[in-house]
Amino acid sequence: MRKHRFLSFVLGVTAFAILLPMAVMVLWSVTGRWSWPNLLPESYTLRTVQELLFGSAKLPQLLFSSIWLAAVVAVLATIVGVMTARATELYTFFGCSAVQAAGFLPLLVPGTVFATGIQLTMIRAGLSDTLLGVVLVHLVVALPYCVTIMADVTAAVGVRHEEQAAVLGASPLRAFFLVTLPQLLPGILSSLSMGFVLSYSQYFTTLMVGGGRIKTLALVLVPYIQSGDRALSSVYATVFVSSALLVFFLLEWAIKRTEKRGETQ
Amino acid sequence: MRKKKWHIAVLLAPFLALTALLLLSVWNVAIQSFGYIPAFGLTEFTTEHYAKVLQDETFLRALGVSLRIALLSAVLSAVLGVLLSAALIRCRKRDGAMLYLVRMPILVPHAVVAVFAINLLSQAGLVARVAAALGLIAEQSQFPQLLFTPDYGGAIAAYLWKEIPFVAYFVLALMFSVSDTLGEAAENLGASPLRSFFSVTLPLTLPAIVKAFLIIFIFAFGGYELPLLLGATVPKALPVQAYLAYMSPNLRDRPYAMAMNGVILLLALAMAALYGVLTRRMLKRMGGRA
Repeated sequence: MRKHRFLSFVLGVTAFAILLPMAVMVLWSVTGRWSWPNLLPESYTLRTVQELLFGSAKLPQLLFSSIWLAAVVAVLATIVGVMTARATELYTFFGCSAVQAAGFLPLLVPGTVFATGIQLTMIRAGLSDTLLGVVLVHLVVALPYCVTIMADVTAAVGVRHEEQAAVLGASPLRAFFLVTLPQLLPGILSSLSMGFVLSYSQYFTTLMVGGGRIKTLALVLVPYIQSGDRALSSVYATVFVSSALLVFFLLEWAIKRTEKRGETQ
Repeated sequence: MRKKKWHIAVLLAPFLALTALLLLSVWNVAIQSFGYIPAFGLTEFTTEHYAKVLQDETFLRALGVSLRIALLSAVLSAVLGVLLSAALIRCRKRDGAMLYLVRMPILVPHAVVAVFAINLLSQAGLVARVAAALGLIAEQSQFPQLLFTPDYGGAIAAYLWKEIPFVAYFVLALMFSVSDTLGEAAENLGASPLRSFFSVTLPLTLPAIVKAFLIIFIFAFGGYELPLLLGATVPKALPVQAYLAYMSPNLRDRPYAMAMNGVILLLALAMAALYGVLTRRMLKRMGGRA
């Protein structure tokens, strides 16, 4: 029983340690004055928030372009994941296990090394400082996660239902889209969520290949942190985190719904 | 049969293209680090840049910093993450609100975690204020310097905030299925919960733990934002130092920067190879079953 109490304590400390920094971030983002050694701010203001939302900072555009980029990466990475998983899980071919192993390569090459190594190629291909170039490098980063997630669900779903549909006269594409795809949906949604979060939080790859021309929240936040402005960096961080969490929980809610629907069918 | 082959080729095409992009990058790092950059008029293969890098005091200190960050982050995250995972299982909090809470740090970008660290751990941060309120310190300057120090404690703390929950979430499914079946059986046969955990659940969860360790080690070793934002100006972490050299206006510094990236890559791959050897051994000991 003592151990149980200890483990409950561990959970309590964890919850506190996760929530406290987020709460302090939100507090700082509406702080007017918070001088040493006060535990709480002396005055609150919405000035920084207002300035960011309606001022020259163009936060709404920045937010929109960051979400757009991450959404494109999430969708493409998931499509690649679905296709790759279909090949490795449902077909047997020479080099299948090599492909599966190659799926983990992006985890073994640090993102900083990858982005540095690819920059010259990107310049030559005319993809440096372009959205397409940034999408490509983000895709490589997201690849192992999306492929793993899709491989698991694809193996679990299998092809039995699809084959039945084909026997009943459906074309292969129709059988895939109408029979297998709905069954893959929970996996597709988690892959989208993973791809989104990974692209959304990229800093170095975006900096290197986007050359500062492709602006994202991460790219704008870092100089604010370096300048030491706590209120401003906290506002940016709050927007950054809450938008990421919002997308995550929306997808999570969708996953729960599709799973429930799958159970009642 | 012909049709099937054609299917596989189409399905794998985008994956292979992206993998080719990664391999191309690795190839670029390799040849440029050996001094071959035709675009800059450098066409001679040489190992002198590696020799220069390995004798450079700045590089060696940066290497030490990055190894320290990677090792401490990975070891502590693995140990504490396993503890958290066990706590989630024992206290029956495997799903619901607590699990969402544990997944949250995985979603938070590294740059934001740097904001957290500054808000809480700097000498004017909340922790220092609490210490002052408790009468432990009288002035800001009495609070120990945790950020921007050469030991990179701030960056390590930030990695821990993100990676402990990552490990817990990463090993949770496997640990639960082991402890729910074999761990339970051991307890029914009279083993104490602690004994059942350390002799049954933990060893059988080890493959997932070691994998999480490897992912974190390589990530923290090649990480840029956290050491940049929370570390000292001297010494810098290896990726920060490499980027600085890469951006040098003197194009002759380029192969030198690439040699640094080459070392980062080699060490990451060496860790991965070590992982491969260890897991193969582990599998053999378990009777060759995956």
